[in-house]
Amino acid sequence: MLRLYIVLFVTVSVLGGVSSAHCQKMTEIFIPIGQSPGLSGKYSIIGKIETVNSQGQTITIVDPSGSHIARITERTKIWLDKSKLGLSNQKGSFADLRKGLTVEVNYEKPSGKEGAEAEWIKVEISGG
Amino acid sequence: MRILIAVAVGVVVLSGCQTIPKPPPDPEAELIERGREIFFNETFDGNGRTCGTCHPASNNFTIDPAFIETLPDDDPLFVAEFNPDLATLERPELMRKFGLILENLDGFDDLENKFVLRGVPHVLGLRTSIDSPQGPRTGWSGDGAPGDGSLRAFATGAVIQHFAKTLNRVPGVDFRLPTEEELNALEAFQLSLGRQQDLSLPLPLKDVVPLRGQEIFLDNSLGKCNICHRNAGANARLGDQDLGNANFNTGVEDLPDQPQDLTSEFVPPDDGFGTPGDGTFNTPSLVEAADTGPFFHNNAIETIEGAVAFFNGDAFNNSPSGRFLANIDPNGVGIKLDGTQVVAVAAFLRVINALENIRQSIAFLQTVERGTFRTREEATGLLERALNETDDSVRVLSDGGLNPGAVADLGEARRLTKKARWSFFFRRRYAREAIIELERARGKLVETS
Repeated sequence: MLRLYIVLFVTVSVLGGVSSAHCQKMTEIFIPIGQSPGLSGKYSIIGKIETVNSQGQTITIVDPSGSHIARITERTKIWLDKSKLGLSNQKGSFADLRKGLTVEVNYEKPSGKEGAEAEWIKVEISGG
Repeated sequence: MRILIAVAVGVVVLSGCQTIPKPPPDPEAELIERGREIFFNETFDGNGRTCGTCHPASNNFTIDPAFIETLPDDDPLFVAEFNPDLATLERPELMRKFGLILENLDGFDDLENKFVLRGVPHVLGLRTSIDSPQGPRTGWSGDGAPGDGSLRAFATGAVIQHFAKTLNRVPGVDFRLPTEEELNALEAFQLSLGRQQDLSLPLPLKDVVPLRGQEIFLDNSLGKCNICHRNAGANARLGDQDLGNANFNTGVEDLPDQPQDLTSEFVPPDDGFGTPGDGTFNTPSLVEAADTGPFFHNNAIETIEGAVAFFNGDAFNNSPSGRFLANIDPNGVGIKLDGTQVVAVAAFLRVINALENIRQSIAFLQTVERGTFRTREEATGLLERALNETDDSVRVLSDGGLNPGAVADLGEARRLTKKARWSFFFRRRYAREAIIELERARGKLVETS
């Protein structure tokens, strides 16, 4: 019985219904593409959007290692990286994901790629 | 006679100026030193704040209203008061009165209304207090860092949140982001601060009240403190499960009459970990607690006795954590201590804090006494830190009416450390004598072999 309580307590109070200890990181919105500490160059992928599938809510990104699919869910944060223009970064939406744009995608699970859910996507806005 | 005097003076001067062999280069020590330099001096081209603005070494790497009161009005801490571009960066009245810092933990899209106000956690003992099976836990809700969520990445988030010149927060305009090398150095410096390992309780304490407090602390059917604060640290163990540095909902947000709520200022509720939050907050270490109040994420309680008493109240016992403890208690009780027991647990926390102060003070003095510092300036800094630690030990013991004999020894250690601080020729001798007094004080608090 004690073990059951412990498991319940750990699940509800400790994990709080989330899978990662670092799911919030709201300052991430202001970090330009490629500069996220501990993620960029290690776990996230940076490349250009090749296809956008509105129906399936996925995008395909091409980087030097090949093409990758990212699934956009209601949890995925999409941010517009305007730092190259000297402007403040902003929240974006699925509509901002367009073919040819440079993006950085961080998956919800570090090992998850190829169709896995994206935790956040930064979209480079460099002009126009 | 004149010759003799000249010789004597020469001997004294030369002995004072004896060459201390420089320690060999140590890459880790150099990285830590680089981190120290960045921590206290680097503004990252921002509004003038450094990490040390909110984490000053002279105040246990945290700030409280008493410390804030000593700062000049043009201190960068108060930048929201004198820079119109940063008017909503802080809530100045709440910062000055209660030591609360503004954080936009649920996003930056409504700066007027969407924020939380939190105390500044110290950065001591991080080596033992941020790891969990779910990843590193940083900040009061355990999710304070961007990037990979690590202590290393935390500095990047702190620069964005606290250092910006304007609230547009454009990198390269309002601040610059720390480089990889700077992040490495800052992490190394922070990990070097304070304890490098947890205590192993029980300690053979000499005074009856803190000794009883320790028993209550460790008793899983009475104080129950050791379940979530194993060995008075920041890590939890439930049954046979190590949870590491865990998050819990202890009901602090439900406390009535919280100081900041008694003002006319707008204070939004704080929902803790995640967006939206789950109401949980990170477990702090208790060894360093007694001299780093106020307590809890929102500085709700000023004294260590009050912080212990919190766990007796309805806010805790009706919280998920309190209900859990009641569920596993044969009598259905969460935590219920009487006044004397509250004071005893607090006395125990005061004594272990004082012992940690003494340990640190001795470590700083030993570096001076052994001459293993690199510059005279560094030695002076070490002696000042030793003074601060000794001062803290005096305060945490005397404020709790604990062990006047040890307090007297600590007072003597303080006097000798001060003499070492200002002495040119006898610095090492005074440091050695101060260490003896500190060890004497320690011997009055705990059995030493």
